[in-house]
This record gives sequence, structure tokens and C-alpha cells, in this order.
Amino acid sequence: MGKGGKRASFSLSDAMTIVVVVIVSFSVIISLVVFNAVFLGSMQSNAITTSEQSVDQVAVTINNYTDDMLQIMDRLYVNSITDPDSQEELFEDLIDIRSDVVMITTYDIHGNNTGIWSRYDTKDLIYTNLSYISIADEGSDGLGISAPHVVSVLDNNYPWVVTITRNTTDGSYSNAAKIAIDVKFSGIARYIDEVGIGSHGYCFIMDDNGNIVYHPQQQLIYAGLKDENEEIKDMTDGSHMSDGVIYTVKTLNNSNWKIVGVTYLDETVNTRVNYMIIVSFLILFSAVIVSFLSGRLFSHLFTKPVNKLTDAMRNFEEDASGFVFKPIAGAIEVNRLSDSFEHLVMRIQQLMEEVKEEEDTLRKTELKALQAQINPHFLYNTLDSITWMCEEGKNSEAVMMVNALAKLFRISISRGAELIPIEKEVQHAQCYLQIQKFRYQNQFDYDIKVDKSCESFLCNKITLQPMIENALYHGLDMIDEGHIDIRIYPDGDDIILEVEDNGIGMSREKIDEILRHDITDRHGIGVKNVDDRIKIYFGDRYGITIRSELDEGTCVSIRIPKITEENVYEK
Amino acid sequence: MRNSRSSFSWAVFATVVVILLAITSGIFIFMKKSQNSALFNADLNRDYVAVIGKSEKSSFWISVSSGARAAAAEYNLDMRFIAPDSEEDYVSQNKMIRDAIDDGAKAIIFSAIDYNANSAAINEAIAAGIPVVVIDSDVNSDGVSCRIMTDNYEAGRMAGLQALEDNNGKLVIGVVNYDINSANGQERERGFCDAVRESGRDCEIYTINCPSTKDDAYEGTCRLLEEHPDINVIAALNELMSLGSGYAIRDMGLKQSVDIYAFDSNVISVGMLETGEIDGLVVQNPYSMGYLGVETAYQLINGIQLPSDRIDTTTTYVNYANMYDIDIQRMIFRFDE
Repeated sequence: MGKGGKRASFSLSDAMTIVVVVIVSFSVIISLVVFNAVFLGSMQSNAITTSEQSVDQVAVTINNYTDDMLQIMDRLYVNSITDPDSQEELFEDLIDIRSDVVMITTYDIHGNNTGIWSRYDTKDLIYTNLSYISIADEGSDGLGISAPHVVSVLDNNYPWVVTITRNTTDGSYSNAAKIAIDVKFSGIARYIDEVGIGSHGYCFIMDDNGNIVYHPQQQLIYAGLKDENEEIKDMTDGSHMSDGVIYTVKTLNNSNWKIVGVTYLDETVNTRVNYMIIVSFLILFSAVIVSFLSGRLFSHLFTKPVNKLTDAMRNFEEDASGFVFKPIAGAIEVNRLSDSFEHLVMRIQQLMEEVKEEEDTLRKTELKALQAQINPHFLYNTLDSITWMCEEGKNSEAVMMVNALAKLFRISISRGAELIPIEKEVQHAQCYLQIQKFRYQNQFDYDIKVDKSCESFLCNKITLQPMIENALYHGLDMIDEGHIDIRIYPDGDDIILEVEDNGIGMSREKIDEILRHDITDRHGIGVKNVDDRIKIYFGDRYGITIRSELDEGTCVSIRIPKITEENVYEK
Repeated sequence: MRNSRSSFSWAVFATVVVILLAITSGIFIFMKKSQNSALFNADLNRDYVAVIGKSEKSSFWISVSSGARAAAAEYNLDMRFIAPDSEEDYVSQNKMIRDAIDDGAKAIIFSAIDYNANSAAINEAIAAGIPVVVIDSDVNSDGVSCRIMTDNYEAGRMAGLQALEDNNGKLVIGVVNYDINSANGQERERGFCDAVRESGRDCEIYTINCPSTKDDAYEGTCRLLEEHPDINVIAALNELMSLGSGYAIRDMGLKQSVDIYAFDSNVISVGMLETGEIDGLVVQNPYSMGYLGVETAYQLINGIQLPSDRIDTTTTYVNYANMYDIDIQRMIFRFDE
């Protein structure tokens, strides 16, 4: 634990909060930027289109208006040549018919006023005649259009007009060298005043020198409260963008006037961008809260139960057998983990219990085997036999008997080892058979066949002797010419030890009883003890099987693995 | 494996929901906001702005209304100019303010007939969250967002200085003022008198206050001139006083001996300027008041920071010599006549 590299020092829910916040802020910022870019772009092209449309419309209207006036002037001019006598009549008709014609004046070559026709009263005394002062220079066609000015010759009436003049230089009309028509400008002024472009925009008229002809804000401009952009003077026809303002310029084709449209890109954009930013921060803030809450939920469902589980595992590590697992509730995943761990704990505790039981059994069986080593009945009987032989003077037999007994005990003790070479076990069985054969007066005989290859492998000590004892007491007890065959041979990776007799055989119940019950009668340790020891040492697939036919005999077969001194601890 | 994937997808799902919610609500709010600014539907949702003046007939207020109309066109607003029939009728003005509140005006541009009597209605509008811009004549309220008016004291001084310049010797001055409750008239009188007194020149000043009509001004001037026949300078402090005084001088045949310095202009007072009854006109910029009033209202509605809470519109001095200069023409002659 903790030896390896750096460990992350934040929890899963923290990580989730961070990820959510980062993703949300990224998407909010990106959408803000994209939205603004798209929005501003479309707004700009919209504004330019609107501005050009409005300016075109204004240009058409004013063109029509001036065309109309120029046509009237043409009519007067032609009439002055073809029918000069009807001139005055025509002037009066025109004044009557056209309400927008304020006044018609004529001048001689010296500029002296030769006549005024108007629907309004003229002043008693004319101080100034702006209609003459304002006359524009004529072009090659003899036509001139003045800048707007007021008519200063009418009594208590100062209408704004544009003066259109025409030279009649051929002098055909007796005393008029110049005809001037004053045309009302208020129509155009009002029209220009009412032209709005987009959400904030206006248009104005400028002459080709850059002087303002009419501007809806001219009072402000003259009062110094506003300025119009100086650069407009030099602008060519078309749209120009400068500092968030779009200027659209269009020159009229029948005068030296230009229509200028001024459109402001929405000034409220900044306010709205700020608003968007505030909204975005609110979104971010709520995202933080949401992810914090979801983190809490996540932690409640996952992190906390996992921590509990980790604590439980640590406790289990410290005290495996005394540990009691309480299932941990959380997300489905955690519940599964908890169930698995619970299962694991139960299994391990069960196994530990089994191991403990086996150890107990082993201790008991080993104790019994130890007791068997010095089975007093067998010893007394054998010693009785030896005493009897000595009294009978069967000294050599007594010697053999004592030797066999000595060897029997030596092998059965074997310096406390449980596993001994098969060779020794066979010797042990031989000693036991010799002793029993003396005791039973050669009522049976025996045959031992040991495969040479098996001799050096190990087996549990006192394995064969209980089987032989079983054969002697349960198989051959009552019959003559009993025979015991002992065979030891390899079977794959295992070794089979067989003890077969030709006695009365055993019933199934008897076999079960022998295998199931620990018969601790005076005859020493039972078959079950052997079976237990083999199974504890080598596992359940090893141990004793008994085949028996009534009146035919019994064959006890013991299976053990091939064990050498070297690999004894591996098994 | 299934477990880990499902918890991962849960997190992803939550994230996606949060993001989508955020973006849609953002766009929704944005669109809603955009509708107000009338970018997408320029003509459908124009903000209503009420301009409440003192009169619909006087030349001054017609110019105010023209300026307001031009600004409304430029800023795409629904502007309505309303005014009582009489320049004394503050009761109708209060009703107009309340009507504007009821009609959902987004801003009110107001010129007070009575400094105190109009304040309650204006405070109601401000309490209703409607920004108020005052033009020409102030009202007694702390909540006014912006005041756009002539510096009347300076205007008075301007007339006073011209009177001093045009006349040598002792000045005997008759001040023809209108309603004594009008702050504008009092300021002009104070400015005029201060300018004359500060000069240290020998002077006498006689003041008369007349109701704000042409006829009352005429009678007032006659009375003043009868009482003080040695008067050689008259200060007429508004449009109607100018006319009344001008007619009085004309009828008494005193245009050579008495100089009139008048305020505001109309075609008649301009005519008198040309014929000599009136010697100088101090002309305000009513068109600018209307225009700037509406422009300021637009800025207030759209949350644009105002450069200042007070705008002084300029005054121009017009006499016989400069009356037909092109910029003076544009200042004193209305385009819509």
C-alpha cells in the first residue's frame, strides 16, 4: 500500500464535478462565441441591406420630385420661346394648380427682379431676396438647382424652398433673362425626417462638395450638439463601414445631391452580450450546484459505500474469523460488490472452519494412531505367545517373534514421522503378519507383491496393518486355509495398496459401518482412521474403497499419490 | 462491465441535460430580449414613448415635436406628442402623464407647466418604473433621469449683454415677464438683470408680470411704457411676450426709440426683426430638445449609459444682420411650415 506511484488525491465525485463544470463552461463559452459571431455577422449584413434599400428608395423619391420640377421648368422654357405672350397666364395657372410651387420670379440680365407670382402676399418692403441670392451656378444646359433656403419676400411666411432656375438667354421673352421657380422643400424635409433605417438610422442630403443640404438633425449640428462624420465627404457610392456605423452613399442622377444613409449597428448589442455573459455565469453556477449535488448523490450511492466496503475489507483482513459483514447499500454496482464480498467472507470463514475441523480430526486420528502403536492387547497377546514359546523351548521361534515385535514397534514409531517409505510399511505389515501367523498357528497364509518402482514412495504409516487386522478378524475369522494377498502397484500418478482376503466377505451395511464409524475396539485403530488420515493429507479423491462378495472375500484398496521425500510438502 | 458503463452513461446523460438546458434557456432569453430591441421584427413591437409638452400650437412646441419625430424615426420608436390646449393647464398634463402610464409608455418626455403641481404625477410614473426625461421646464422630482433644457440664466445674460452693446448711455429697462411661478422666466430675468447691473452702467429696471398670452403682454407693455415713458430697452421673456411687446411698440410708433430683446421666435417676431420693432432674438433650440429628449429615452429604454443627467441645449442670438445666414435660417425657420 502506497509504495507505488502517486495516488489521485480527489474522490470520484470531485472528479465528476470538475468534469461537468469544465464541459459546461466550455460549451457555454463556445456557444456564446459562436452565437455572437453568427449574430453580429447576420446583423451587419442585414443592416447593410436595409440601409441600401432605404437609401435607394429615398433616391428614387427625390429623383422623381426633381424630375417633375425640371419638367415644369422645361415647359416654362419652351413656352417662353414659342408663346411668350401667354407666359404670365401660365405662371398663374401653375401657381394655382401646383401647391408645392411657392413662387415664380423672373429677372433681367442685370439680375433685377421683373416679376413675382405667388399665392401669398409679398412684403410691403422687400429687404432681402434670398431666392435670387441663392441661385446656383447654371450648368451647360442653363439649369440650376439651389440649396434649400427660406423665401424672404413673403409677408409673415418663410417657407423653405429650392430654387430652380433656367436662363432664357435668347431674350425671346421681353424682359426675362432668367426664370426661377421656388419649390417647397418641406415635403422632402418631412420625408427625410421620417426615414428611419433599421433599429437606429437616418438619412440626409449632401451636395457634391460635402455641404449638408438637408439633415434631420441639422439644428443639432449647427448648435454644435452633434457632428456628422467628416469622412462622408470623400465616400464614393456604396456602403462603407466605420466604427460600427454603416454609411450608404448614393448620388442622384439629375442633380448634384447625394443621399447618405447612416445606420448604427445595434448599440444594445453590448448590453445584450453582457446579459448573455451574466446568463452564462448563472448557467455555470447552476451547473456547479447541479454537479455538486449529483456528486453528493454519486458519493452517497458509490463513493461512501465503496469506502465502507474498503473499511470492511480492512477489518476482515485484521480479524478474519471474528468478522461479521453487514451488507452495504448503494448503487446496484455497489450492492453487487457487497454481495460478492459477503459471499467471499462466508466462503473463507467456512473454509477456515473446515481447516480447523480437519486439524482437530488429524490431531485426534494421529493420537489414536499413536495409541495404536502401543496397543496393549496386541502387546499382551504377543508377549503371552512369546512366553509360551519360551516355556515350550521354541527358542528360535521366540527370537523371531521378539525380533518381529521389535521391528513392528520401531517402524510404527518411526521417530514420530507420519509418512514413511512404502518399503518400511511393507516391513511393518510383514512383521505383523509373522506375529499373527504364530499366534493363529498358521491358520492362514499370505503373499506380498510389491512393485519395485513403488518402494521408495511415501505412505502414511500404519496403513496396511489395520486392513490386515480387519481381514483377519472379519474375513478369515472362522475359516481354515485363509489367504491374504497384499499387492502394491502404481496406477498413473497414484499408487494402489490392496489387501485382499478369501474370507466370508462383508455386507454393504458392514462396509458402510467400517468406513463411517470410528471403531475403536480393542483391536486398535480402525479402517476409518486410515481413510481420514489419507484424505486429510492428500485430499478427498484419495482413500479407501472396499469391494466385497459374501463367501468370496473382501478386497480393500487404498489409493495414495506418489509422494517422495522431496515433494512431500507440496501436496 | 455493464455496471460501469451504466454509471458512466448516467453521468454523461446528466451533463448533456444540463448543457442543453443551459443553452436553450440562454437562447430563449436572448431571443426574448431581441424582440424588445426590435431587431428581428422592426415594425411590430416598437416601444411607445410619450412626449408631453406645454402646447401644440406655439412655434416652439411644433419644433420640439418635429425634433422628437425625427429622433423617433431614427430610433424606430412609437412617439406620440401630446400637449394641453393652454400653456397654463397643468391639470390636463397630469392626466396625460397618467394616461401614458396606463398605455404602457416605455418612457415619458415631459415639460412641466407647474414646477410643483406636476410633481405628483411624474413621481407616479417613476414609481411605475417609467423613466422620465424633462425638457425645457423642470419639475420638482428627484427621480428624473435626465434634464434637457436651455440654460435660461445664460440666455438672459446673453440678451442683457446685447442690450448693453447696442445702447450707449443710461438704460431704462422694462422687463415683460410671464407667470411668476415659471422658473424659466425668473431665471431669464435674473440673467438679464445681472448682466446689466454687473456692467456698472447707469440703469433702471421695471418689471411687469403678465399672463402668458399675446394680448396680456400687449396691455402690459403699454401700461409699462405709460408709467415709465423713458424706457428705451424692453426684455420680452418668451414667445408670446415678444409678440405682445412688438405689437405694442409698433402701434405706439416707438420702434426707433425702444429696443426689444425678445426670446424665442416665430414668423411674426422674425418679421418684426426685419421691420425693426424687435432688435434681437434669443433663440432656443426646441428641435434639439425634442430630438435629444427622444434619443435619451431610447438610451434609457435600452440600458445604454447616459453621458450625463443634464444636457444644455444652446441658444443663438439673432439680429437683423445675421437672420438670413444659412445656419440661422435653419435655426429659426421651421421646415414644416
